[in-house]
Amino acid sequence: MDKHISSQFDNELTGVSTRVLELGGLVESQTRHAVYALAQFSSEVADQVIASEKQVNQLEVEIDRELASIIARRQPTARDLRLLMAISKITGNLERAGDEAERIARMVKQILEQGTPRNLPSSELRIAADLATGLLRKALDAFARLDVNMAVTILKEDDLIDAEFNGFVRKLITYMMEDPRTISASLDLLFVAKAIERIGDHAKNIAEFVIYVVKGADVRHTALTEIEKAVQ
Amino acid sequence: MPDSKPTQNAIEVRNLDFYYGKFQGLKNVNLDIAEHRVTAFIGPSGCGKSTLLRTLNRMYSLYPGQRAEGEINFYGQNILEKGQDLNLLRAQIGMVFQKPTPFPMSIYDNIAFGVRLYENLSKSDMDDRVESALSKAAIWNEVKDKLGQSGLSLSGGQQQRLCIARTVAVKPKVILLDEPTSALDPISTAKVEELVSELKKDYTVAIVTHNMQQAARVSDFTAYMYLGELMEFGVTEQIFLKPTRQETEDYITGRFG
Repeated sequence: MDKHISSQFDNELTGVSTRVLELGGLVESQTRHAVYALAQFSSEVADQVIASEKQVNQLEVEIDRELASIIARRQPTARDLRLLMAISKITGNLERAGDEAERIARMVKQILEQGTPRNLPSSELRIAADLATGLLRKALDAFARLDVNMAVTILKEDDLIDAEFNGFVRKLITYMMEDPRTISASLDLLFVAKAIERIGDHAKNIAEFVIYVVKGADVRHTALTEIEKAVQ
Repeated sequence: MPDSKPTQNAIEVRNLDFYYGKFQGLKNVNLDIAEHRVTAFIGPSGCGKSTLLRTLNRMYSLYPGQRAEGEINFYGQNILEKGQDLNLLRAQIGMVFQKPTPFPMSIYDNIAFGVRLYENLSKSDMDDRVESALSKAAIWNEVKDKLGQSGLSLSGGQQQRLCIARTVAVKPKVILLDEPTSALDPISTAKVEELVSELKKDYTVAIVTHNMQQAARVSDFTAYMYLGELMEFGVTEQIFLKPTRQETEDYITGRFG
């Protein structure tokens, strides 16, 4: 993209975009660690995930402050305005994805403390978890490159996570029916599955804002076929 | 509030070319100015935005060597045709300039002067007209107790609103504002901008401004001009959020090199 007459304005936009990617990297690693903690039932890794929450919150606040400052001083328009709007929304989505990762970590610790039997299908959550983590990474890539085609791919892949989630819920139900003693642990896993599914949703939201920045089209709550038309 | 709902067109510009001697200042401009809406012209210096504004009430006819070709239809009447009563035209399409231009006479007479050219009103009718014009220009409360004082005694912002009142007093259909706030401080600017939003209830407004944010704040439609051409014309919100042309985007985001 061409540069502004004011190179300082360019620096500010680049600066705040870099911050978002920094936050994104943090949340992505949080998510990956949460999934690892779940797979390995590692209390230590779960603690790390919980500890990094503070850093995420702090970055979110800093990014919002930078955004407010740029808007107040520069009165951005058109693509610049869309970028800043998108950054504000993306930041919110990342912070909440971080919250979900923290939720998974806390659930892992709870499951460990209760000494729950580990013969539940927790490993099957990993497919969805890997999908969600990968989606988040792709969404950040799409934002970094302002890549609309990649964003559309993400919207499609989120459906896969939703399908995994539904399949997993059905499986949990059969476990609970077979052995009511697993109900408590199954519910814990259900919450974890829901958190993973939410991370996928946040990645999808981020992808939608990438399309908004580049194309100026608000594709939230829009059918995929319509979106594909809008980005042509 | 901005209002981009379509209305009748007050002015329709068709295939307009404009020449300063041999130099072509406007190139094939086509544009509709909607009734009871604010239309802003933006663009870098020398792009033709003021030229375009000055064709709309044939202000350029005051200068030899300047000519316009094409059509400017004002409620269906092509004002570029020969035999126009230009004084009457300029009463119907009034203009306010960059620098406030009050006459060196009382505030009251600043308003009454123009009215007397066109109408023969009784003292009380004239009093009413003066009050109504000053009220519409949002300056009545500030001057009602000193109507006999010179118009030049007012502050810059008040003088500009006095000039708007003077334009309003002859009951125009269209008001052309040529950078009306570029000589004013921020508070006076805000008052004039507020006034513009009020004026569109009764009149059609076209405004030229160097201040893009002003265009964004006050107008319903925005025209972006460059090198004598109309590059893009559309609903103001769309122009400032998602312009169609790269040139418009570059200009409004400050990437213009």
